[in-house]
Amino acid sequence: MATASQAAPAPRSSMLGARLREAGWGYGFVAVPIVVFGLFFVYPFGYAIYISFFHWGILGKQAGAAGTFNYHAVLHDRVFHIALKNIAEYTIGVVPLEMALGLSLALVINQKIHGRNFFRSAFYFPSIASSVAITTIMLYIFNSDGLFNHIIGSHTPWFQSAGTAIWSLVGLNAWTTSGTVMIYYLAGLQAISTDVYEAAALDNTGAWRTFWKITFPLLRPAHFFVLVVFGIGALKLFDQAFIVGGGSGGPNNATQTPVLYIYRDAFSNFDFGKAAAAGVVLFVIIFTLTLVQRLTVGRQEAA
Amino acid sequence: MRKRLGVVLGLLIAVVLLAATAQAGTRGSKVTTVTLSGWSSGPDEDALLQQVVNNFNKSHPSIHVDYSVINGDYGTAMTARFAAHNPPDVFYVDSSVAGSWAQQGVLQPLNGYIKSSKYDTSKFFPSLLGAFTVGKTIYGFPKDWSPLAMEINKGMLGQAGGRAPTNWASLQKVAQTMASKDVTHGGKPICLSPDWARMLAFVYQAGGSLSNITSPAAAAAVNFYVGLMNKGLATTPDKLGSGWCGEALGKGKAAIIFEGNWVLPYMKSTYPNVQYGVFPMVKDKTGGNLAFTVSYSLAKDSKNKQAAWTLLSWLAGKQGMTQWVSKGLALPSRSDVKAIGGRQAFLSAAPFAHGWGFGNPHFSAAYTVMNNDLTAVIAGSKSVASMLSDVASALKG
Amino acid sequence: MTLQTSVAAAEPFIPGRARSAIARKAFFYVVILAVAAVFFIPFLWTLATSFKTIPDSVNVHLIPHPWTSSAWRAIWTQYDFKLYIKNSLFLAVVVTGCNLVLSGLGGYAFARLKFPGRELLFLLVLGTLMVPDQLRLIPVFVMLTNWHLIGSFSGYILINLVTATNLFFMRQYFLTIPKDFEEAAKLDGAGPIKTFWKIMLPLALPAISALVILQFQGTWNDFFWPLILFGQGSPHLYTVQLGLAELNFTYSTLWPQICAGSVIAILPILVVFLAFQRYFISGVVSAGVKG
Repeated sequence: MATASQAAPAPRSSMLGARLREAGWGYGFVAVPIVVFGLFFVYPFGYAIYISFFHWGILGKQAGAAGTFNYHAVLHDRVFHIALKNIAEYTIGVVPLEMALGLSLALVINQKIHGRNFFRSAFYFPSIASSVAITTIMLYIFNSDGLFNHIIGSHTPWFQSAGTAIWSLVGLNAWTTSGTVMIYYLAGLQAISTDVYEAAALDNTGAWRTFWKITFPLLRPAHFFVLVVFGIGALKLFDQAFIVGGGSGGPNNATQTPVLYIYRDAFSNFDFGKAAAAGVVLFVIIFTLTLVQRLTVGRQEAA
Repeated sequence: MRKRLGVVLGLLIAVVLLAATAQAGTRGSKVTTVTLSGWSSGPDEDALLQQVVNNFNKSHPSIHVDYSVINGDYGTAMTARFAAHNPPDVFYVDSSVAGSWAQQGVLQPLNGYIKSSKYDTSKFFPSLLGAFTVGKTIYGFPKDWSPLAMEINKGMLGQAGGRAPTNWASLQKVAQTMASKDVTHGGKPICLSPDWARMLAFVYQAGGSLSNITSPAAAAAVNFYVGLMNKGLATTPDKLGSGWCGEALGKGKAAIIFEGNWVLPYMKSTYPNVQYGVFPMVKDKTGGNLAFTVSYSLAKDSKNKQAAWTLLSWLAGKQGMTQWVSKGLALPSRSDVKAIGGRQAFLSAAPFAHGWGFGNPHFSAAYTVMNNDLTAVIAGSKSVASMLSDVASALKG
Repeated sequence: MTLQTSVAAAEPFIPGRARSAIARKAFFYVVILAVAAVFFIPFLWTLATSFKTIPDSVNVHLIPHPWTSSAWRAIWTQYDFKLYIKNSLFLAVVVTGCNLVLSGLGGYAFARLKFPGRELLFLLVLGTLMVPDQLRLIPVFVMLTNWHLIGSFSGYILINLVTATNLFFMRQYFLTIPKDFEEAAKLDGAGPIKTFWKIMLPLALPAISALVILQFQGTWNDFFWPLILFGQGSPHLYTVQLGLAELNFTYSTLWPQICAGSVIAILPILVVFLAFQRYFISGVVSAGVKG
């Protein structure tokens, strides 16, 4: 790496001035995002923390003193435990699959192959359709006597059986998000200078070794991004679980997820205090996991 | 590229400022605007209601009704508006959530308006009006209703003797004949939804009730319902490659299903070639059925309550309802409005129908528990007694 | 990493290698063609179903029996899809543009500018990803109602001005750009804005393309917030997704119309994708270093 030539040591006051100016620009650049996030995420979350200690209905505070009863109810609820178990299984299944699929697709279409544009569009297709449309179509194809079962000769209702529902969702979502992950990895691959590959070719490094020892490690910022964003997305699963299970989390709680639990407490049972408590619990879980990711994969990053 | 980006950004800012000034239009002050909202059950229904509303607008020049359909999560969208104290003036309320919405204080009690306009509520069927009454307070008028009936594929029934079953014993017998002749070619004679919104009718037929759900009668009904599946005479729609039993009937995968008035327009448009008959629901010790009904209700936070009341009372009154049921898309909830022909199988259920929701504020929460337990019982991983005790405690809240 | 001149590596001649290379290549193409076919099939089915009659639409086969364009005519006449497309286009362009500007600047700041509390603020940004929409729906909706931003596009645009995903992504991308460029710019006396505008932005072309494609699509396919904000009482603001939802009924789904609507819904995103994906060109960064 070329080294920057050092100017003669500047007087301390102008160094301080330079740092202040840089900080000023920094704050200026992030000002609008921080305000937007503050208004529409931090404030609502703070509000949720507040109401989680009360009985809270549609029109506001209901009778009763403040207390941790909502947290008690959530943490001792068998259905919430099932939701946590489901989402753990789902996340552990879907995230590695998404990353592997997305990365593979990106590697494939990053090469000079014939019909590159065609393949890029084809691989990106499942991600284009809205989640409602694609889930409805897949529900249809994976019916107990739909196209898929016709081909493999089975009669299992894949999305409607308690045993296979979660894994069917893993398959469905890994497939539909692979195109999006592919785009993020494609962008990441562009940032790797071709010099690296030329050097590897000169050393007669094989394709697999080039990928594993050079490309893969250089994609670390992309890995961290995909892991965090899609990991959190997986933990917040709602849309497809709602469509597949009909909103009840069935059959027999097989499609129960934490966000579905929050949703039902809020908009079906109007128990906003309990929903907020569940939301805070979920946040703590996600935050802890993300912190762990930050300290492992996301290390050695700061400028 | 960068210069173009700069121009685009400038345009963007201008456009955003323009958008910020775009507002919905307002009407002149002599006419009161009343907003009406509901969900959409079918393209014909939306068009029909818009027509009814247009007739109201013509006959009531001082009120203008803005009708808009909420095409998605009705409950969530309405809850958000209640919380923001900005709801539509008149809107649908499903009987299963009427109890909770009333308890949350978002529905306007109608007793005062009924008294001052001397409105005759005796014309509403009592069980239907009762679904929207808590204690003595009325929170809405039923706009229509449907009970369950039995729909049977005519050809398949012919192969099994041609006589529609009338009670549990004959239901089982007909199904057995159908199964032995495999009339559905790989399906099952009966399609049963894994849903208390169907099974509860059988509980009432056995003499049980939701208020005493742990009784032997209720257990007998559940055992009969699930028993049909265990005997291979019935199964759930997902095992027949269908989203609901209506679809199974259309695909020829089931011969006998139990659905309400809504299955008629569905079969007409999606499976027009399937010949099926509509028969009254079976009985056991007594007749038992469920009344699915929706009300027009008034928002507590409405800013035009008097005008909204005029609309509500007209829509649920003889004039409005006659127009609404004229296409046979729903059954009238008033005794002074006649249903169109061919609906006898549904209307005969009126004396036995229990309003779905029962005015219980814990009902919609309990319903989720009820159905999750039922799928477990059907799969064999939970006992009937355990489910019934879960249901009893869920209904208490 | 040292700068090197490119040298075409000479391949040693090994008998038979040419044939096995062709076999491997053929196998490769067969595999990705099969994968592409699998990925395409749902779209083909959607297209085919849009030309079926309603009774026929419940059948699995790919060829309509009979063939009819009634669904397309219904979509265009009965439902105001022209208006819906206009609205969706407007929102997608505005939201994408705002996100581009704000995520670009913010991402650059988090990656390269030093200011106290930067790591903490970044954690806050990540934190917003952990709050599900369902949890923040009511407070946000009440806020927008009190500010009279419900009956127009402004409320939607305001809450979507910038997302943590985009900001995070731009930051990650800027982190991979070698510091040489900024150091060179600093030597030339450029301030942060000039550095950003003249140097970082052009280098971030692949990231910008990715962001434009994905944010455009995200806004275009957004159903939840448009439903909550425009879904009642504002039919003139309906987006394509809300229009599609008009075709979904509890007991009678109009499959052909929904499929026709879905095809209309997919096309603009495809156009944006095809337009911007050619900026995924390798070597943009290294070209800058050599030059």
